[in-house]
Amino acid sequence: MRHIRKRSALLTAISAITVATAAPAFAEEIIIGAATAQTGGLAPYDQPALAGLRMAIDELNAKGGLAGKYKVNLIIKDTRSDTAQTATVTQELIDAGAKIMITPCDADPSISAGQLTQPLGIPSLTLCGSAPVLTQAVGDVMFGTYPADNLQATAVADFAIAEGKRKVFLLTSPDATYVANLPEYFGKVFEKKGGKIVGRGTFTMNQPDFSAEITNIKGLAEQPDLIMTAAYEPDFPAFIQQLRGAGINIPVYGADAIGTPTIKALGKLVDGVVYTAAGYPEAGSKLEAFNAAFAKHAGHAPESTYEVNGYEIGLILDEAVKTAGSDDPKAIRDAIANLKDFEGITGKITYAGTDRMPLRPVVLMRYEDGEPKYVETVVPAAADVPAP
Amino acid sequence: MIAQQIINAVSLGGVYALLALGLAIVFSIVGLINFAHGELMTLTGYVLLAALIAGVPFPAAVLLAVICAAVGAVAMERLAFRPMRGASVTSLLLTSFAVSGLLKVIFQNGVSARPQAVAIPNWMTGAFSIGDFTIGVGPAISIVVSIVALIALEFFLKRTVTGTAMRAAAEDFDVVRLMGIPANRIIATAFLLSGLLAGLAAMLWVASRASVDPLMGFTPVLKAFIAAVVGGLGSLPGAVAGGFLLGVIEVLLQATLPAAIAPYRDAIVLSGVIAVLLIRPQGLIPAVRVQRS
Repeated sequence: MRHIRKRSALLTAISAITVATAAPAFAEEIIIGAATAQTGGLAPYDQPALAGLRMAIDELNAKGGLAGKYKVNLIIKDTRSDTAQTATVTQELIDAGAKIMITPCDADPSISAGQLTQPLGIPSLTLCGSAPVLTQAVGDVMFGTYPADNLQATAVADFAIAEGKRKVFLLTSPDATYVANLPEYFGKVFEKKGGKIVGRGTFTMNQPDFSAEITNIKGLAEQPDLIMTAAYEPDFPAFIQQLRGAGINIPVYGADAIGTPTIKALGKLVDGVVYTAAGYPEAGSKLEAFNAAFAKHAGHAPESTYEVNGYEIGLILDEAVKTAGSDDPKAIRDAIANLKDFEGITGKITYAGTDRMPLRPVVLMRYEDGEPKYVETVVPAAADVPAP
Repeated sequence: MIAQQIINAVSLGGVYALLALGLAIVFSIVGLINFAHGELMTLTGYVLLAALIAGVPFPAAVLLAVICAAVGAVAMERLAFRPMRGASVTSLLLTSFAVSGLLKVIFQNGVSARPQAVAIPNWMTGAFSIGDFTIGVGPAISIVVSIVALIALEFFLKRTVTGTAMRAAAEDFDVVRLMGIPANRIIATAFLLSGLLAGLAAMLWVASRASVDPLMGFTPVLKAFIAAVVGGLGSLPGAVAGGFLLGVIEVLLQATLPAAIAPYRDAIVLSGVIAVLLIRPQGLIPAVRVQRS
């Protein structure tokens, strides 16, 4: 009884969420499952990325689907930002016939989804999960799409060294792979290039009392000239509020997760904060054109570069199905893994020769007077990027 | 350094104490642990945000937000808990979870799943120096507000008729009703006070976080629950003691644990809670009458 009810609920969900435009009668259908967070802590990241992917799929379906042949039926299910729930909905999506899986913007739920798709050989792409351990933890079906944490950290570390910074304090939390590892990658590159780690601190995510940690920073015998963290919302606003509140003006650098409207809206509080993005819309660039098209499609401008990253996932899948020449999951997986210098919107994307974390440019940004300002676009030397 | 950490501890403990007190006041009268207490904080945060966006001056926005929390608490009682009056503890508990879940979804879908930045005035993020060490304006306000609120509550409970009736109701509600005090008034006042305390705590919480989000009420209400249990469920002085104890332990452990052990802080804190309850099963300062749970 329960089973039947579940199934009918599933069918309702499918019919409600299906992204469908008028289909030529002969077109074949390919189901893409999206196990993503519509609610909870990851929703602010998954939703923009998913919006970009949906736009790509709408456009592709208007042209007949992936490779002009396989009409996409995108089934979206809410993971509630919960790792166990991610596994549950991934299983439901597999049962619904998904041949490609899209997983949340974080390593931990993506790994739990990947453990189900790996034995079945279903190619799985994380929306903006960027932990380089993510693909290794799952296996050959798992792909990252966003610049990896070690790549981002290298870009920020190179920039900090070039600025003359030499002493860093690393703030991490063991609660999520991204927050735990990214500053440590930064530390490795920073030390290798002549910098020094003068202290480390940890915090519990979503429990934002940083007073003790901040007092520890104040009491360091050797004061840092930089604090590096991968904390994001709501921890990052709390940290910087309490840090500045305690009268400490040491610059704070982070990574992609703080390139959001919430952080921008902190205004003067985040003056000078450096972070990363997947692209920057220079005048006349493809990204600028994408942003305009997205605004028309979604009714609002992109909030970040997660939208374009989601859109590029659609393009990557289209290219992979073209190369594979079929909708066979294994063939699609092989085609993604061999992608080389694929022209995306933000630049060239390469999977060939990597651990399925893409090689792609990293953009450095800095908040100034409440506005994100472009600093530079870099492709860190592969030899500098620390191993996961 | 040590003085600084003590200030941090008292500041955090004060917020926990306000929250635990809000839970304890309601529990002492109606035997309900209101897990939707945290959503009163969220409501306060969003009202503050909306008022600030609408251009209301900061002090007026704070006042408005705290009043909304109190009104929200009374409305919660009227709509959700009054129809359940006299129901078992379990039913009440589940009702409070339902209210909490419902409000979270309303905030998520009605406002945004994304945290919203709250512009805290510059003077609140400043710091001033006394002798060798600097005190943040935020923690200082936090400590002062907690202490003033605790004294005001004490005054209300000891010096007014309603306050006396509430203390009596905590010991034996039936006798208080026999004395001719209307039950609805006592219960509504209990929720009003708990709402005010939630509102004040929310202001201090938001001021140190600079953002509000739909799920922000969860952690504080959990802490308040732990504090109330450690202090002695239903005992008001116990809730205050429990709140301060929890705040002090958390900050001191965070300050002193070596980096390798620091991630286990919460496990250590909760082990401490169990230890306290093993030695004093009724809490630090037990309620006068063992609760009807």
